[in-house]
Amino acid sequence: MSAPAPASPVFWRFNPEIFRLIGVKCKDCNHITYPRRKICPVCGSLNIEEYKLSRKGTVHTFCINWVLPPGLEPPVPLVIVDLEGGGRYQGIIAEVDDPGQIKIGDKVEMVLRKVDTDRGINVYGYKFRLAEES
Amino acid sequence: MRGKVAVIGVGMIPFGEHFNKGLEDMAQEAYIACLKSVDKGIDPKEIKAAWFGQWSGGMIGQGAQSGSMLASMIGNMEIPITRVENGCPTGSDAFRNACIGVASGIYDVVLALGVEKMRDKPGSESLIGAGGGKGGGLGSHPSWMMGTGGPSLQALYATRQMYELGCTMEDFARVAIKNHHNGIFCPYAHYRFEVTMERVLNSPIVCWPLHLLDCCPQTDGAAAAIVCRTDLAKNYTDKPIYVLGSNIGLDHANYWDKHNFTEMLATVRAARGAFEMAGVKPEDIDFAECHDCFTNTELMNVEDIGICKKGEAHKLLEAGEFDMHGRIPINPSGGLKAHGHPIAATGIGQLCECTWQLREESDQRQVEIKNGIALQHNCGGPGFGVSCVTILSRSL
Repeated sequence: MSAPAPASPVFWRFNPEIFRLIGVKCKDCNHITYPRRKICPVCGSLNIEEYKLSRKGTVHTFCINWVLPPGLEPPVPLVIVDLEGGGRYQGIIAEVDDPGQIKIGDKVEMVLRKVDTDRGINVYGYKFRLAEES
Repeated sequence: MRGKVAVIGVGMIPFGEHFNKGLEDMAQEAYIACLKSVDKGIDPKEIKAAWFGQWSGGMIGQGAQSGSMLASMIGNMEIPITRVENGCPTGSDAFRNACIGVASGIYDVVLALGVEKMRDKPGSESLIGAGGGKGGGLGSHPSWMMGTGGPSLQALYATRQMYELGCTMEDFARVAIKNHHNGIFCPYAHYRFEVTMERVLNSPIVCWPLHLLDCCPQTDGAAAAIVCRTDLAKNYTDKPIYVLGSNIGLDHANYWDKHNFTEMLATVRAARGAFEMAGVKPEDIDFAECHDCFTNTELMNVEDIGICKKGEAHKLLEAGEFDMHGRIPINPSGGLKAHGHPIAATGIGQLCECTWQLREESDQRQVEIKNGIALQHNCGGPGFGVSCVTILSRSL
């Protein structure tokens, strides 16, 4: 076993994205993407500004994965979420008793969870959970 | 490209589980079969360049593949060879680059060869892991790619196809039933057995809404094609098949940047460019070999190629129009679903099938040739953002 690295580069490189959800919005075509980039992936414009993503949204599409590499226990519901205010986020739904209850259009919200360990250091990121019915 | 390039030979090995064959064995057998298929004969030294399709080598521990690997395999150090890797259309793109090499006027006769060894590793270490799996993926972000894998990348589309287009799991299963039926008649197919609606729907869920029998197998295989200048083709064969167009189309590698989940814009773009190059329309093609790594993929791509309107494919399939003897047969070879999907060999394997069909050499699985035009389609890569469409014809 090698000694844990003093810091995970993932934390440093993605800190604004992982925890503060800072993406970019194109001032020319209005496309919102994430993580931050220097060029809009849709229209190629350099005319972009930082844009903070919402933690809430609705399920655009999903699937329930039963065949996973080691380290994840099936079933894992994978979702593409349309965020409030624009932009999409890909992630998994945690804390759901019956994945069969998930539907397109369901309201979801992000929760900060441990997602991995990198050389002995916990790595945190957002997962989704089904939002309480209001 | 139209009119400049002709296929003079194609060869492949039966796709399947080849424990007794390594990457080199399979590539050499496909190459030899391809040379032998040139009916008036060819001296291997007449091949002046090659493009080598290889996808998984470095990813699953078979070493980094490059041009020198193919040079050693075919025993020719005197020509330039470039390795091509472009997702699941790797073989198709190797062929496309070979065609560009001839159409450019630089080379007269060139080779495209694709080979893939997938069965030496369990699925969890190859395609299932390839999607990002436990995390990582793009830029090593810890959560975006979490829980993904080969099947999930299409299951996200399948759910939305069901929601927006009214497809059902039964519709997806009909693709498997059709393609398994076709595979029975193809001596090169990995799976040669029928499946029923009950069997597909009762097979285990791999990634809802996709069952095990909605998924293509992981397969070992190799396929090769030799193309040359059109005006030289008759020196090699009486039955050259002409390349009318070949195009790569792209879409975002990240799912969260995509426009929607009911069409693959990569395929729309690839087909639009290929038809434009070829100067033909979707209604001119007699049949298609269309990427069906998962059953829903075939339905979506048949629409995106332009064979029918969005939301119609599942209805036409049920009406029998895509059957081997239907109005426009889709995947007479058995498709990836039954024929198998040895990634870099898949596209060239489809081109072999198109060539044999256009020459009317396909025995029991021969489709009716009317206009003498075939379409080959292959898609995949990160975010299913790479698609290749090639249009072949038996006349100019």
